[in-house]
Formats: sequence, structure tokens, C-alpha cells
Amino acid sequence: MKRLANLPTGLLLFILLLAIIFPFVGLPLYFTHTIILIFIWGAVTTAWSYMGRFWMISLCHGAWVGIAAYTTVLLFNFYHLSPWIGLWLGLLAVAIAAGVIGYACFRFGLVGHYFAVTTLVVTELVALVIIAFRDITDGRLGITVKPLRTAPLYFQFESKVPFYFMALGLLLLSLYIWRKIDQSKMKKALTAIDEDEVAAASIGINVVRNKTTVAVISAVIAGMGGVIYAQYIMYLNPVTTVAIGASLAYVFMAILGGMFTMWGPLIGAIIITGLEEYIRVTFGTVLMGWAWVCYGFIIIVMIIFLPKGLYGTLIETLHKRRMQKAARESATP
Amino acid sequence: MALLSAIIGGILFGGSLALLAYGLNLAFGVLNIIHFFYGQGIMLGLYLIFTLTVWFDVPLIVSCLVAVAVIVALHVVVHLGVIQPLLKAPLINQFLALASIIIILENSAMGVWGATYRGVPITLPVLNIYELYIRTSNLIAFIGSLIVIGLLYLFLNKTYTGLAIRATAQDREMASIMGIKPRRIYLITLALVGVLAGIAAAFYALVYAVHPHWGGTFTLMAFVTVVLGGLGNLSGGFLAALIIGVVMMVASFLTIPEGGPIAVYLIFLIVILLRPEGLLGVRARA
Repeated sequence: MKRLANLPTGLLLFILLLAIIFPFVGLPLYFTHTIILIFIWGAVTTAWSYMGRFWMISLCHGAWVGIAAYTTVLLFNFYHLSPWIGLWLGLLAVAIAAGVIGYACFRFGLVGHYFAVTTLVVTELVALVIIAFRDITDGRLGITVKPLRTAPLYFQFESKVPFYFMALGLLLLSLYIWRKIDQSKMKKALTAIDEDEVAAASIGINVVRNKTTVAVISAVIAGMGGVIYAQYIMYLNPVTTVAIGASLAYVFMAILGGMFTMWGPLIGAIIITGLEEYIRVTFGTVLMGWAWVCYGFIIIVMIIFLPKGLYGTLIETLHKRRMQKAARESATP
Repeated sequence: MALLSAIIGGILFGGSLALLAYGLNLAFGVLNIIHFFYGQGIMLGLYLIFTLTVWFDVPLIVSCLVAVAVIVALHVVVHLGVIQPLLKAPLINQFLALASIIIILENSAMGVWGATYRGVPITLPVLNIYELYIRTSNLIAFIGSLIVIGLLYLFLNKTYTGLAIRATAQDREMASIMGIKPRRIYLITLALVGVLAGIAAAFYALVYAVHPHWGGTFTLMAFVTVVLGGLGNLSGGFLAALIIGVVMMVASFLTIPEGGPIAVYLIFLIVILLRPEGLLGVRARA
């Protein structure tokens, strides 16, 4: 079972090899573009699921993406600080923000609905603050990174290949951290907290520290995604990358794929981002709105009938079948 | 004088906010769900009123009634299709299913009406009382909201159905032992919430021009009101709505347009962390 849940190593290496040679096989650049987006959103969604799998439904990952990306871009645009340095300041800002918000929420025992709505308000607050400082952020119009053509020292490349490998690296990092958390003592602590917070605290688990730690890790990975996205697209918009819609999009990707598994969020990101790009190019932006309407219906149906997501349900079914087979084999001598 | 105008504007806004908050509070108190697509329901109503009056020349009153009917129908459909199957599911599943209705409604509105602002082109006069400027449309919304809140109070306290709703909100199991059918009460409550949303849309039709992302702010504002007033506390909600209305208008007046919502959200964060039972509330049942 262990091997199935984590995919066989050989298959994994094969996929990784494909991913590495992919940008060099000469497919249209458009494919590379889509895959970069899938990698970035896959990483952010995986980061979201660090918290989501313990039923901490954060709706402020849009804000973390936005804070890191805006810090980096603003420092570059106004002080000509290289994004390679600026990104650390951006991630520091995200870590502090997530730490403060997380600590406050968990210290005062906000769970379930209350936690989700509070994080939603945080997202709106960040978006509004970005819009309010329209003198430096250009408000709702969005901000453009000053173009320098190819300038590796300033995190700008005309080719998509460097971004491709950075996004791939981030995705692998996010999956690796998922594994690390899954094997750590923290996972056991968080599972116990999720089942019964008071009981967990009574056997000496530090509820606030465990929850805050995972919240900060998750936020920082999301922030890295934001930085790469900003440098790659070179444009940021508070409404589409920060506000409620963006934050909900990560949640939906995770649910669609299956938020309790390692590969689920990535699969959700592949399906939604891939479909979105496909529809946008084939049918134009008008139909994209209607595609989102369909996603809405699909998500509702999924939540009602398959709350474990596509990949999660698949894994579970396979697992059940194996168990049945094993039971039958052991029953017949 | 301009500051006084802002304060009066805030009180007027607070009145209609109280109406919104009652709907959310009802849904939360009785069904224990966060009615997440509330603002989007109102947005749909505003679009319907706009379409009927401007594109089809239907009298405003008639189109408002149609809008109320459609919003009630929307709530009933959502209740039967989404909320009822998820009543026993984890809270977060309900929350996310309702959130995806936002996506459906907003993108449908975008597809049908486009991203431009749509408003009914009827402007009511602005009252000028000793340099105090009051928009008649705001005044109508305020007085209308007060009347509706009064009627709602009578309904919840004087009719059998209303009392059954309150009983269910207080204790689900006890109420069902007393012969109240929770499923029927849930449906009636959600239809009632739909009526409130529809009436809010009718009052807002002359105040606001609507665009597809119009609703989110109002849901959040109404939710902030509910939390400040204390969940399940109807009279606390009214005072909280007035406070929020005034804070929002005055902060916007003193700083920049975004200052109002920013101030309100900051107050919300402080209150939910330090006094989750609400500014005026008694400690809610766990």
C-alpha cells in the first residue's frame, strides 16, 4: 500500500526525467508556459494542503502570494534592489505576517468556520491595503515589473527555461516538505489536535506552536510561488492574484485533486490550470467565465459525493480492493 | 458639517446593513451554516431589477417583486441541492460548497451582463437640511429596512412558524421532540433569508450600481456585523450595524475610500480574537 500511495519510484524518476527534458524537445512555447503555471500553482496548492489536510482551512494564501510578490517587485521598482535579495525580505514579511496571524488565531482557539472567515478577512485587508496605496502600487490597475530584458542578476530572463526549472524546483521542494511533514512528529501532533484539541493539549502537545509552525511553512512556500510568478509574468494585480477569488482557487484545486494526499493538490492544479489555459486559448476569455461556472458545479458535486477528491478517492478504492484481495487470499488456505 | 453628513450617511448605511446581518444571523443560528453567497444573491437581484426596468421597461415595483421571487427561488434550490445533502458533513465542506456558488453566480453575471457597472438610471433628489446632505434613496432604504426588521421581529415572536424557527435555533433536538420538523424549518428559514436578501436588493437598486464582484464586500460586512453583535443575538446585531456603518463612513470620509472597509476589518480582527462572543453578546453556546 505504501508504495502505491507514493507512486513507484521508477515511474517517479521517469516523470522527473520527462519534466527535465521537456523544455528542450521543441514543443510550442505555449506548452512550456502552461506547465510553468501548473508548477507554480501546484506548489502553492501543495503548500495550502499542509494546513488543509488537518482541517485548517486557510483562505489567505492569496494574501501570502501577494505580500511576497509585491514586496519583491516594489523593492525592485523603487530602490532597484535585485529580486534575489528582495525575495528574502518578501518571504520574511510573509513569515512574520503568517506567524502573527496564525499565532493570534490559534492562541485564541479559532477553528472551523471562524478560522476560515478570519483568514478571508485578512486576505481582503491585504488586497485593500495594496489598492489603497495606489501611488506606489497602481491600485486596481496592477503593477508591472520594470523590464530589463535578460538580466540574471535581477531575476529577469527572456527565455522561459530558467523559470521552468525554478518552478519545477519549487514544486519538488513543496512535495518534499509535504513528505517531511508527513513523516515528522508534527504530523502526529497535528492529527491529534485535529481530532480533539483539548485532549491533545492535555497530553502535553503544544497546540499553538505546532499549528503556527505549519502555517508559517505553508505561507513561505506560497510566498515563493508568488515571487516566481511575479518575475515570470512581470505583472501583479491585487484583485486577481490576491483577493478572495485567488485564495479560493487554491482551495478548489486542492479539493478537486484530493487534499489529504501528496499528489492530490498537484493533480488538481494540473486539471484546473490546464483546462483554464486550454479554454482561454481555444475559446477566448468570454467562455472562460462559463468554464468557471462549470468548475463551481463540479466542485459542489465533488464535495457532496467525493469529499476526498479525484486522486484521494482513487487511492482509497485501490487500497480497499487490495485489502479485500488480501483478506480473500488469507481466508482460502 | 461634512463630518456630520458622513455620520448620518453611516447611520443610514447601518440600517440596511442590519437587515443584511439579520439574514446571515438567521441562517447561522438555525442551520449552523455560514451563508457565504448572500451578497452574490443580492447582486443577482440588482442585475434582475436593472434588466427588467432598463431593458424591458417593466415598472420598478414589479421588477423588484420579481427579483425577490427569483432570489427566494435561488435560496430554495440551493437549500435542496447543496445545503440539505451536506447538513451532516463537516462544517468546512458546507462552507466550500457555498463558496463555489459565489464562483458560479459571479461568473454567470460576468458572462451575461459583462464587467461594466449597471445601475437603474433613476436619481432621487438629495435633501438639504441646513447644509446636511441626505440622499433620499438612502433614507428610503433606511426606513424600509427598519420596517422590515420590525415585521421580522413580529414574525419571529408572534407566529407559530416564527416561534418554531427560534425554537430550532435554540435547541435542535428539543425542538424536534416538541413536534417541530427541522427539515421543514430549515427550508422555511432559508426561504426567509432569501426574502430578506430580495428586499435588500430592492432597497439597494436605487443606491448602488452593480458589477459582478459587487457582492463579496457586502457578505463580509454583514458577517462582521453578525460577529460584532454576537452570533444569534438579534438586537446586538442592530447596534453593531449602526456602529459599523458610522465607522465605515467616517473613516472613508477622513482618509481614502478604502479606509472605511480597512477600519471595519481591523476592528473585526480585534473583536474576533479577544471577544468572539461579540461586543454586546453573552458568551455563545459551544
